[in-house]
Amino acid sequence: MKRRDFLKTSALTALATAAASRWNLALAQGSGIFTLAYPTSFPDLDPATSFSNDGAVLANVYEGLTRYIPGTETEEARIEPLLAESWDVSEDGLTWTFALRDGVKFHDGSPLTSEAVKGSIERTKKIGGGASFIWAPVASIETPEPLKVVFVLSEPQPLDLIASAGFAAWIQAPASLEQDNAWFNAGNDAGTGPFRISRYEPGQRAVLERVADYWGPVPEGAFQTVLFEIVEDTTLIQNMIEGGQADWTYSVPFENLEQLQANPDLRVVVNPSFETLFGLYNTRRAPLDRPKVRQALSMAFPYDDVIMAGTANLGTRAKGVVPAGIWGHDAEAPIPQTDLEAAAALLAEEGVEGLELVMTYSTSQSLSAIAGELWKANLEAIGVTLTLQPMAWEAQWQLAKSDPATAQDIFVFFWWPTYVTPYDYLFNCFHSEDQPLFNLAYYANPEFDAMIDEAARLSGVDRPRAEQMFIEAQRILIDEAVAVFMLDRPNVHIIRSDIKGYADNPAYGHVTFVNDMSR
Amino acid sequence: MSRLVHRLGWPGTLALFCVLGFVAVGILAPWIAPWPAQGAGAPNVAAKLTPPSADYWLGTDHLGRDMLSRLIYATRISLSNGMLIVAFSLLIGLPVGLAAGYFGGWVDEALMRVTDVFLAFPALLLAVLMAAALGPGFLNSVIAVSVTWWPWYARLARAEGLVLRGQPYVEAARLAGVSHPRIILRHILPATARPLTVQAALDVGPALLTAAALSFLGLGVLPPTADWGQMVDAGRKFFPDRWWYSAMPGVTIFIVALSFSVLGDALRDRRKGAARASV
Repeated sequence: MKRRDFLKTSALTALATAAASRWNLALAQGSGIFTLAYPTSFPDLDPATSFSNDGAVLANVYEGLTRYIPGTETEEARIEPLLAESWDVSEDGLTWTFALRDGVKFHDGSPLTSEAVKGSIERTKKIGGGASFIWAPVASIETPEPLKVVFVLSEPQPLDLIASAGFAAWIQAPASLEQDNAWFNAGNDAGTGPFRISRYEPGQRAVLERVADYWGPVPEGAFQTVLFEIVEDTTLIQNMIEGGQADWTYSVPFENLEQLQANPDLRVVVNPSFETLFGLYNTRRAPLDRPKVRQALSMAFPYDDVIMAGTANLGTRAKGVVPAGIWGHDAEAPIPQTDLEAAAALLAEEGVEGLELVMTYSTSQSLSAIAGELWKANLEAIGVTLTLQPMAWEAQWQLAKSDPATAQDIFVFFWWPTYVTPYDYLFNCFHSEDQPLFNLAYYANPEFDAMIDEAARLSGVDRPRAEQMFIEAQRILIDEAVAVFMLDRPNVHIIRSDIKGYADNPAYGHVTFVNDMSR
Repeated sequence: MSRLVHRLGWPGTLALFCVLGFVAVGILAPWIAPWPAQGAGAPNVAAKLTPPSADYWLGTDHLGRDMLSRLIYATRISLSNGMLIVAFSLLIGLPVGLAAGYFGGWVDEALMRVTDVFLAFPALLLAVLMAAALGPGFLNSVIAVSVTWWPWYARLARAEGLVLRGQPYVEAARLAGVSHPRIILRHILPATARPLTVQAALDVGPALLTAAALSFLGLGVLPPTADWGQMVDAGRKFFPDRWWYSAMPGVTIFIVALSFSVLGDALRDRRKGAARASV
């Protein structure tokens, strides 16, 4: 029965592909179309509550006040004006004043005003879904002038960064503020971006059309239409990008990239992502409550092998929890090297024998599985038994949030920030919590807490000092081996070589800003 | 040999040897696998995704482990999986079915309605639900499949019990004052043994296939234990460029499934023939 069903599904998929590609070809002849083969659907197109892959669509339709441009080897990270032209912060870091861009129109023709900004953020806060928590420090929003908006905060926070967030920071037209979630998910939009949604078939595709009077610069030969084709099968995705039915995609397995790199029609763009993989040790349970035992386990982790086997050498060694490209990244971090002899010696010194550990990870994360399998082999060599326990994410998280005494020994997962600040990583995963949420190492260190809290307070007013403190805090984590920092995941996007003006921005994950591109 | 061919036919004989061959491979895994450590899960990343070659006859997987050794070790897992499922199912199904058949009346009604509830669900769907609830793991997948499997034995045992309880020797035992449990244990059970054993032996094949389906869905054994279904799944995303990864375990599953079903057909034909001859 299983086999017959499988055949039926394959046949259907083949039919669907044939139909889809015919359609694509017909459209592609019109040229001005940019097709993205996207491996996941878009669960929520409401700008207030979207908190998933829907950002890929919404980022081309809506805009926020600012945009984050990550640092490179030659340039420092910076925050670019978007709907805001400029901004100021008061000395105490509590009052932020944004000057809005003049002449910006929403897709319904209404102008961008400070009232619209206030209304959008208040709607997002009121609904309280998705990433709305980023606005928690905002006590009130004032609109002294049509193009001037003032945020009063309850504690000093870097609001320019918060406003650049990939979710929950989009500004929507006043007329749409009363609409409910269903209205947005029917394919309606109310943004200021270069495109508007013209057709939306949930689970199948989204089609965006260029708006006539976009405020920003539009390159010559820019795309008129953006087509998101939802294709879940990675093999199919690979066929589409190789055959020219798609212009952009991701989620092709790392091992298959070599072949794509050799193809002159394709460009494989590899950048660091802001996603980092690590394993939190259960610091409440013996013998993992002793830093030296944790250090020994981290020394037994096969860092280079995992990067090689899991990411075809495209990933990079994690240096603490804040990945490269984010301010507060510690390039000089004293990270441990794989050294089984030293690890065995350290365990012997601590008098630990016959240690048995359970590592949990999410079933859908094949990279975690590879890390686990390779680590397990190394640990076996030094007399530690590691049991790998893949679980559905909800179950893995539920177990970890329950009693630390009965929870896992090592909790492996990816973390990426909602907006670009080291505090996001350090606070969520390592700040002490009364009730475990994401600090699943159950780590509690008042000195560390005070340090990152102070750094967060300073990050709005004295960023260099804050950065220094964040780095010091990360050194504490490395020194006490609270977690094993495995790798920073590479962001790999594949794009047809005839596309001009493509720039990856890891701050926004798998989002492509189509406005800047042309064929 | 010729008598075997006469009884089972050529295809049946061939299938029997295939099945016995797989059992032998499973038992002898550590001695015949070219890379026993890799079969058991030791990674060898330097050789990852090597095509079939002199060193690795069937290529290597994403952690550089020899596919042949992995398949040989997986045979162990799959066969013991199949046998355990059948054993568990017999353990539940046999007493339930015999009790229902022997006592009849409301006992039969009650037990068989419970059985029907389990049969009402599509087997694989129920197994997937169970496995998802229990979480992945070897024993959990055995339990999950057994839950869908035992009702068939209950029905089979019930039919036998129904027939046997009217037999003169059973009635004689009852008149002689032998207790019910003793009658079931000493007089009914031995008589049902033969048809049930044949059925059970043949079911090992479909049972291990279902278990492979579960592990294909990520609900089977835990890594680094090798399992055919899980290997097909792991190789799927590499399929366009590295065909051997999914193909090798796929072909293995195909051969095993075919062997068991051909053997089953041959045995069934033979039993039918025997039944006709005795009439």
